[in-house]
Amino acid sequence: MTSLRELQRGVRRALLGRGDAAAAAAVVEDGLAAPARLAIYRHHVFTTLTAALQATFPVVCRLVDERFFAYAADRYIRREPPSGPCLFEYGATFPAFLAGFPACLGLPYVADVARLEWAMNRALHAPPCAAIPAATLRQIAAQATGDEALALDPSLALVASPWPVDRIWRANQPEVDPTVTVDLSARAVDLEVRRLGDDVVFRVLDSGAFAFRRALADGEPVAVAAGRAQAVDAAFDLAEALVALVEEGLVTGLARRV
Amino acid sequence: MLSRDVAATPGRVGIGLRGPHVAEILASSPRIGWLEVHTENYLGGGPATRALGALRERYPISLHGVGLSLGSVEGLDRLHLARVSELARRLEPTLVSEHLSWSSAGGVYFNHLLPLPYTDESLALVCAHVDQAQEALGRPLLVENPSSYLRFRHSPIPEPEFLGELTRRTGCRLLCDVNNVFVTCHNRGGDPDAYLAALPPAAIGEIHLAGHARNDADGRSILIDDHGSRVSEAVWALYGRAAARLGAVPTLIEWDTDIPALGVLLDEARTAERVLAGLAPGEGIRDVAA
Repeated sequence: MTSLRELQRGVRRALLGRGDAAAAAAVVEDGLAAPARLAIYRHHVFTTLTAALQATFPVVCRLVDERFFAYAADRYIRREPPSGPCLFEYGATFPAFLAGFPACLGLPYVADVARLEWAMNRALHAPPCAAIPAATLRQIAAQATGDEALALDPSLALVASPWPVDRIWRANQPEVDPTVTVDLSARAVDLEVRRLGDDVVFRVLDSGAFAFRRALADGEPVAVAAGRAQAVDAAFDLAEALVALVEEGLVTGLARRV
Repeated sequence: MLSRDVAATPGRVGIGLRGPHVAEILASSPRIGWLEVHTENYLGGGPATRALGALRERYPISLHGVGLSLGSVEGLDRLHLARVSELARRLEPTLVSEHLSWSSAGGVYFNHLLPLPYTDESLALVCAHVDQAQEALGRPLLVENPSSYLRFRHSPIPEPEFLGELTRRTGCRLLCDVNNVFVTCHNRGGDPDAYLAALPPAAIGEIHLAGHARNDADGRSILIDDHGSRVSEAVWALYGRAAARLGAVPTLIEWDTDIPALGVLLDEARTAERVLAGLAPGEGIRDVAA
């Protein structure tokens, strides 16, 4: 008699398309072969997980068309199935998967569009977090030692791409005229993504602000972040950058580096 | 204690809340007994979770989980259970339910309610997990009978008896999905009325109704629990017989694929209300906390 552990291991193999034999041996056929019964479950697993990826990456799906998306999703689900039950958290590695997916080589910008969509999805579901008022931050700044890192809005993400992924994304919204074309040689972009109210928004940052915010988001102290910004933009002004950060409601606290 | 919300509500029938209907419900506050949500969709901090907070002000809410994987040999995901418990503390739902199934193995979550063999080993495991979940939630859990497309060779305990024993050992209650009873009995062989008669009636705290699809697989008809259509005539009839026996148990209309206009769900809910209203006088709504 098979233990429950062995049975679940066998069904797991069958569902991931790695062989039905172990699970099928435990199933009563009763007018329908065991593999056909297992296939009903596998079909549900793959269709619902594909739908979850489609919901998170709608522009990628539109760019590659639904059939190709389903094919890519099938390969991805087999290789990196979800580890937890919240499907809005599934797909973090889908952009990297697409970047290495041979069938996508002809569309090199698709993986970067996926990175933007993942950042937007993360922003949508990020915990709500109140920005600290400018006056409070001034009090803290008066006693600052220079080692402090800033805690930023958890919905914030910084996405750099050699492709104009912002224009590609906008041109592929359902309400946009499908004949609109995007000049792929247009420019590289440094994007900031965040949630404002109920909406996720993104905008282009200049290289100094992008480097500064990305370093802060990585947990670097203000002085280090300013150094990164000055390395790409000699005219970077730290005081101005800090004011902008606070005025945009992006600072949620102060985190001393450990 | 909180479950009196459902009992106190004029409508006894609720609907599963789905994304496309949220704005319309917020705008028009239609008469709905209560709203049930899939717990796992509300564990993030986004606008959907905020909207649910607003709906909570107008309707009783029940939390229906699909991710606890009560039948998984690897044990409950403690972090997930903590997140569900935290949401339940915040929302104060009238009911919290899960499924008699498993979804996770070897670190993979399958997003499906997979069947268990009904053995003493499975019973001990599910009882331990229900105890653990009820401890974390601080309230009884309702456990739903799954729909199934297969039967295991070694599964000596009939499903309704397994559920009955689960309620006796853990104090949990049952969510009886009448469509699942119908689908499972069709696919595995069995009499749906006999199945319902074998459930402990006092333990049933909620009923689910949904549509199913009929597929022809290699010449054998298989019913697929796709929640993608109106409740079938046969399931309405089975529901009527269940309600006559159980009394007016709070009933929920579920719809998950090809989601129609809100009006269609409300129409199904009205049909369920008419069935409940046809019960003999004195068959009042049962307090779900009883």
